[in-house]
Amino acid sequence: MNLFANLKTRGTLVITHEDIDRAHDRARVLAARSRGNWFSRFRLLWLLIGPGILVMLGENDGPSMLAYAATGAKFGIGFFLPFIVLTFVMAIVVQEMTVRLGAATQRGHAELIFERFGPFWGWFSMIDLGIGNFLTLITEFIAIRAGLGFFGVPPWAAVLAALALLYTALMTHRYWTWERITLAIAAFNLVFIPVALLTHPDWHSVGHAFASWQPLPRMDQDTLLIVLADIGATVTPWMLFFQQSATVDKGMTRRDVSFGRVDTALGAALAAAAALATVIATTPLFTHHMSAEHFQAAEFAQALRPLIGNIGASLFALGMVEAGMVACVTISLSSAYAFGEVAARPHSLNLPVRQGKAFYSVVFLLAVLAALIVLIPGLPLVYVVLVVNVIAVLAMPPALAFLFLLANDRELMGDVVSPTWANVLAAAVVLFLIAAGVMFGISVIAPHLFAAAPR
Amino acid sequence: MNAEEKRGAPLHPSDEELVLSSLEPDQLAEAKKQRIPRRSLRKSELLVLWFLRVYLLFMIVVVVYQAWSGTH
Repeated sequence: MNLFANLKTRGTLVITHEDIDRAHDRARVLAARSRGNWFSRFRLLWLLIGPGILVMLGENDGPSMLAYAATGAKFGIGFFLPFIVLTFVMAIVVQEMTVRLGAATQRGHAELIFERFGPFWGWFSMIDLGIGNFLTLITEFIAIRAGLGFFGVPPWAAVLAALALLYTALMTHRYWTWERITLAIAAFNLVFIPVALLTHPDWHSVGHAFASWQPLPRMDQDTLLIVLADIGATVTPWMLFFQQSATVDKGMTRRDVSFGRVDTALGAALAAAAALATVIATTPLFTHHMSAEHFQAAEFAQALRPLIGNIGASLFALGMVEAGMVACVTISLSSAYAFGEVAARPHSLNLPVRQGKAFYSVVFLLAVLAALIVLIPGLPLVYVVLVVNVIAVLAMPPALAFLFLLANDRELMGDVVSPTWANVLAAAVVLFLIAAGVMFGISVIAPHLFAAAPR
Repeated sequence: MNAEEKRGAPLHPSDEELVLSSLEPDQLAEAKKQRIPRRSLRKSELLVLWFLRVYLLFMIVVVVYQAWSGTH
């Protein structure tokens, strides 16, 4: 039985500004649902999409696009194209659970772990999330700085512009407005598709790669690092926390779960298209035998300039800026939602500043701190980027264990409890992530085991 | 039923009506303050959680070692 079925406020009913804003959004959803024609179905989809697309395009962030660029430059077209699609399928499996959890419980992920399993396990999750999110946030500013650096913008101006855009997006004090602005910016992630087309890809090789997963890369530490970076570019703990909280903040209910699934799958398809395009876009560096081992975002754009021209290179650099910018917003928010849930402070984008001081402060303080770190001269930025994706993969299995337990909690989930097929897929994802992590660990501890493997 | 805005400003009656007709009871900000009952973890679940915790800590050491050896 649903725990919330009998929940009613006693005595005085307290209605907040947040409730009124959310009620306006829900009224439009209810009106569209009541009509039942085809146009209304499309309108309903338009009203209910958001968290899934944002989380997927948000995860196509600075380090992710850098990982895809490095994949194309190092391995060209081959095994990694279908592999990247597989990672997005894993992302759909995992994120779909957060939609059901949010809609069924109307609670964020951090809050559920704390209340259901106690503060001991709650703090473990929060520490994983906090460290991971902050490191990732730094890498988003690295991407913004590097991308704008391509156009000659000095680092201080680049991070200041990013902070200003973050401020503007959040100061709408309205979830709906924020979501639509961020979706519009996130759509720019698809700029990698025209960049890929400018390289005149060999479509026969692309088709062959998808059909056969060939050519296979050599099994060594560098390959495993790219494998982990590509997985970490698609499934990470912040995504679980963000999508569940955004689902709640948007006001989605059990009746909206099927639309939440479409939203998630659509987001994955768009993000996968951008990711594949990035691999294809940097493949000319592989075919021209250009070493891209220590490239940053702007250096990829510079290296591509003689091959795809000024416009293509500029689009590539702008794509990196967008990737960092959108993730900067979504990752900061994921931390702020989690903080609000754990500290029992109001946490919604529908809050006016006065009521959501703590919530908005967390978003800005984290962003400002990450921005300042990026400005430290001589910081090994490339290394930070690679390590961040690897840590994200390693932190995922413990995060998924809690998600798995919660999504199977019949008392919380009621009729949207995880079906067997979802559990089988989720277990497969956890085992795959652990296996990838263990393989990477072995390659670090005993590199000779991989170095001798034939190509 | 009395309704009040948290900020102290009076609510418009249409707002109250809108909220009550559009939101489910557990969607109200006030309802979300209700605590969810604790669930005790089974031994097998605890074992898995501890295994994954140890796995993460071990792998972080591996990453730190790799980062250290990479920069030296």
